[in-house]
Amino acid sequence: MFLHIFKYELLSSLRVKDLIIWLMIFPIALGTFFKIAFGNVYARNTEFSAIPAAVVGAENDPAFRNVCDSVSEGDEALLKVTYTDEKTALEMLERGDVEGIFYAGDEVMLTVAGSGLGQTILKSFADRYSVSAAIIKDALMNDPASAPAVIAAISEDVSSCREIPLTEGNTDNMVQYFYNLIAMVAMYGAVTGLHVSAGNQANMSPLGARRSCAPARKSVSIAASFLGSCIIQGLCMVLCVSFVAFALGVDFGSRLPLVYAAALLGGCMGVSIGFFVGALNMPESAKTGVVMSFSMLMCFFSGLMVGNMKALISAKAPWLNMINPAAVVSDSIYCLNIYSDYRRFIVKMISMVIITLVFVALGLILTRRKKYASL
Amino acid sequence: MENTVVKIENLVKRYGELIALDHFSLEIKEGEIFGLLGPNGSGKTTTINCLLSLLSYDKGNIELFGKKMTPVSYDIKKDIGVIMQNVAVLNELTVYENIDYFCGLYISDKALRKKYVEEAVEFAGLGDFVKFYPKKLSGGLLRRLNIACGIAHKPKLIILDEPTVAVDPQSRNRILEGIEELNRAGATVIYTSHYMEEVEQLCTRIAIMDKGRKIAEGTKEELKRMIRNTETVTIEIIELPEEVRAQIASLPHVYSAEHDGERLVICCSGGKHNLIRILDVLQSRDLGFGRVYTELPTLNDVFLEITGKALRDKED
Ligand SMILES: Nc1ncnc2c1ncn2[C@@H]1O[C@H](COP(=O)(O)OP(=O)(O)O)[C@@H](O)[C@H]1O
Ligand SMILES: [Mg+2]
Repeated sequence: MFLHIFKYELLSSLRVKDLIIWLMIFPIALGTFFKIAFGNVYARNTEFSAIPAAVVGAENDPAFRNVCDSVSEGDEALLKVTYTDEKTALEMLERGDVEGIFYAGDEVMLTVAGSGLGQTILKSFADRYSVSAAIIKDALMNDPASAPAVIAAISEDVSSCREIPLTEGNTDNMVQYFYNLIAMVAMYGAVTGLHVSAGNQANMSPLGARRSCAPARKSVSIAASFLGSCIIQGLCMVLCVSFVAFALGVDFGSRLPLVYAAALLGGCMGVSIGFFVGALNMPESAKTGVVMSFSMLMCFFSGLMVGNMKALISAKAPWLNMINPAAVVSDSIYCLNIYSDYRRFIVKMISMVIITLVFVALGLILTRRKKYASL
Repeated sequence: MENTVVKIENLVKRYGELIALDHFSLEIKEGEIFGLLGPNGSGKTTTINCLLSLLSYDKGNIELFGKKMTPVSYDIKKDIGVIMQNVAVLNELTVYENIDYFCGLYISDKALRKKYVEEAVEFAGLGDFVKFYPKKLSGGLLRRLNIACGIAHKPKLIILDEPTVAVDPQSRNRILEGIEELNRAGATVIYTSHYMEEVEQLCTRIAIMDKGRKIAEGTKEELKRMIRNTETVTIEIIELPEEVRAQIASLPHVYSAEHDGERLVICCSGGKHNLIRILDVLQSRDLGFGRVYTELPTLNDVFLEITGKALRDKED
């Protein structure tokens, strides 16, 4: 029975072309718009995991050179270092090929042109290095065998300055718009989920009444519809993330599978919101309006329209960011791309599960009724 | 030995202030085609929805197949075929898929279901349309799909709520013949309609409803015997002096004679040669008249006499 209902639920949802088209067209249009609008700024900022910098005088400072080399290695490189002389370095800085110049020596100096995310990171790198420089020099001099370990430890430490953007409130706004776009599509899951309750309740649609006459348990029927909607919504989420990642070129690095996971969970959360709203006692046409405005409002608070909205809210009403479903989705992706550990990401994922369960439970309470006073 | 399939006792249903069903009782035996006849708003759909346990009711008792009907009486529900007043099909599924979908809610055996679905397609005459989506079907075909979805699982009790509203005559006949066929195959049928001709043609027993009450019940012959009208004579006549009308009205067996400027309508109760006596009066006065016809009583007359108003809406 479950499989039978589920099969036809999928089939019919897949054929609701307007739903899928609307679910996809608006985000695609908006995403493309973001891409065009912020193309330049954004292209530079995505490179932030490897900031181009020139180093002058490294030949006289093996300790600094060692650290620079070690933070320029691998996928998660912090810097892209060019060793050169002062004249070339200045030319490169002028052309914008590098974001700053380090002058090696007793005191590492930094020259940057302008101010921005990259410059901030370089600055913090230089500061942190200065603090540790004595230890490295000591190691190289007295115990060369232990040097690599010391350098590795210190590189690790200075690399953590990539987290500075968040702690200093200097967020990468452009990329956040794309995270919010994914959150918006997740919220659209509410539209997909609307019919789950209406289609199974006798007082809400002729189909609901007709289904209630069949010897199928309402819980089975609702579960099959719900799962079907989640899968359809999941499909939309996969399309959306793929579009953002591959067509718009937003770089999620090796975390892409987890971005998909966050989007899928977000989609289910959207469906659960739709399930809940669908079960409310109000006209069908009003429900679509309600879910659309709710999603848009949540997306507004999470910064889809105004970039620094979320920073504002996290300052003024941090609890809102914790329960705003759209913010939770975009934050989860944000955490993935900012922090190297998964703790904050997992917290966001758990929040999504909780929000989903809350809405499902509320929806179930509302749809529990079997007989109605009026059809 | 006839089994009682449906038993409704003293059903009362209120929508707020409005009393939609007022101590309504009904008993339907196995094998009947039972007609619920009544004008729009008389409470037919409300009765059906209470019967199906979709609606809560204020008072009364409902039993189907000898068991109390509740929303979770799945064992009862599996033997019922429901064709609701509002077409309920999935717009994104084809005709075939729709029938399979609904049939599958009752029958899980795939091979059996395939056979049943094909039989339902054949039954409803939808063979040329199996790949059509409901939106592409005409009103009549859509109703036939609605019916096919309701009967595919071969239910023992079939409930049809106004299945022929807004249906072309061809589809209507097909639907009525289909219902008779299902009944011959053993199904008990409940049929609601505000078209008395249909009910008269189809149903073995009829309950007439008005304002939530059952005002009469019986076979069509029994119902007609309940009223004094046995014959209605209509004469097309433009000019008719009042004393002539009064003279006709006072003829034996005539209990009413009304003239509306175009037609004289005379209702008779019993007696023979009523028509001849009436025409004699007109001829003796040298009054010219057009067509003359006489009708045997219809269910409309039954309704008219009991409630004082016509059953038939003027639009139909
Ligand atoms: N959901 C409802 N709320 C309030 N009144 C209703 C509702 N449904 C039906 N009614 C009223 O109940 C009466 C019976 O309606 P219904 O059972 O639909 O009649 P029928 O099917 O014979 O046309 C009508 O007066 C109708 O206006
Ligand atoms: Mg009705």
